[in-house]
Amino acid sequence: MMQVALVAIMIDLLHEFFASPVMQDALPPALLIAVVASSISVMVLAHRLSFLTVGVSHASLAGMGIALALALPLFPTATFFCIAIALLLASLPKNRGITEDTGTGLLFAGSMALGIVLISQVSRNEVDLFGLLFGNILTVSKQEWHWLWIVGIIIFLAFITMARAWWSIAFDAITAEASGQPVTLLRALLYGTVGLSVVMCVKLAGIVLTTGLLVLPATCAWLWGRSLIGLWLLSMGFAISSTCIGLLFSYQYDWPSGATIVLTLCMMFILSWGISSLTQHRR
Amino acid sequence: MSNPVVSLSHIAFGTETSPILHDISLQLEAGHFMGIVGPNGAGKSTILSMLTGRIMPTQGYIDLFGERLGRFNRHHLLKKIGYLHQLHQHEAHMPVKVHEVVAMGLDNYTAPLWKSLFSSHQQKDAIMQALAYVEMQDFEKHDFRYLSGGQQQRIRLARALVRQPKLLLLDEPSAALDTKQQQKLYTLLRQLCDTQGVAVIMVEHDIAAITGHVDSVACLNQSIHYHAMKGEQIPEDVWHQMYGEHMHIIAHDAGCIGCHHD
Repeated sequence: MMQVALVAIMIDLLHEFFASPVMQDALPPALLIAVVASSISVMVLAHRLSFLTVGVSHASLAGMGIALALALPLFPTATFFCIAIALLLASLPKNRGITEDTGTGLLFAGSMALGIVLISQVSRNEVDLFGLLFGNILTVSKQEWHWLWIVGIIIFLAFITMARAWWSIAFDAITAEASGQPVTLLRALLYGTVGLSVVMCVKLAGIVLTTGLLVLPATCAWLWGRSLIGLWLLSMGFAISSTCIGLLFSYQYDWPSGATIVLTLCMMFILSWGISSLTQHRR
Repeated sequence: MSNPVVSLSHIAFGTETSPILHDISLQLEAGHFMGIVGPNGAGKSTILSMLTGRIMPTQGYIDLFGERLGRFNRHHLLKKIGYLHQLHQHEAHMPVKVHEVVAMGLDNYTAPLWKSLFSSHQQKDAIMQALAYVEMQDFEKHDFRYLSGGQQQRIRLARALVRQPKLLLLDEPSAALDTKQQQKLYTLLRQLCDTQGVAVIMVEHDIAAITGHVDSVACLNQSIHYHAMKGEQIPEDVWHQMYGEHMHIIAHDAGCIGCHHD
């Protein structure tokens, strides 16, 4: 009897969840972001770019600061700024002996500082600073929705055309180059695509939590997947389910949506880790 | 006789104050197996990097298969080249199965995902053939990360072979191999030269191990000090020029316990 009651409560909750207009607005963009971010997260892990995603997401604050100061459209400006920063980081390190993490740290702090100064100059009512920092998927305007679609489709197409090339470069860049692949160009395209993905994720999870969306799905998949395609599908599976579960919880308990999704992903990782270390004896 | 597979003409690399290579000229016919020996920093790996077009010589030019190697024809010339680079802190951190590593050597591996979701039988056969060369067929579905260093090296070799190259460039291929595998590798390379007309350039440290298999040995230290054909003795003063006075020449014969005899 208990179980039946429990199932009934669950169904009620789900029904209520899907019927609520707020969630009807939030679920499609959140799922779009989940699919795109989880695809790219496979490459973020393979190329060890998690620190890059931290750097670029914080740099986006400067982009938004510039947009606010000059009264430019917020998202497009931030998008171009993020791609520029990502490409700058792709070209910065090798030649002057500045390692990638130093360069990222530098730009991270510098652009964050610039963003804070610029935003402090704008009147407080105009800026949803909390939303910028921690994300707010519940307030997606029509324009932003279009923007998300365009960016999402670009990232997805880039991923399915270049995934194999990026994968082989991550595995062995020297051999990839010696077999005629334009490694420098492909790397720049990857950094640009990661920059684009960061902008999308900032909308959902905010500057501070974006890295979670771009690292955690593939991290969960890493414990189970054994090939590029396998990792990709698993990563998407983890991201889509965490997004649904996260939004459900955030709806039920009125938690911030981005943080709840990232938290769900963390829980999934801990669970997968536990289960995989119990079941997979061969390391 | 058709064009030589490789032709280097007066190659130089490095700055005037610190030259790395100086006036290198070499020609290699199909089916020729050449070993390059020389001390550390002699520029052995640099020659191989130049042949793959990763770096450009500061002087001279390179012809591959009768075509001058340049920035724009690089891609299509490299299709016929298999390259195994020197093993350095290359840490395999991604979950990849052995057959996928070998597949990375195939030219169409980097095709978009929708084209390559279903690999053709032809590709599968090529991969299995390459694995058979290095006797690793049974490991096809294994995770590359959990193989031993020597096994990983053999898989990398299979990745270079799966392209069915006309020219093989190997940079210390025996680095992680035991003596038995090392001899097997040289026998395989000899066989590829003789039956398929593959030209091989191999950088090695241990000249004694390769002399029985190669057609010629080039002694390199910034320039080529000597290019010995099979059966030819390398004069002692060449060794001293290359390695300095502090070296001992040990003759290996059938009774040498340090050598492996089949």
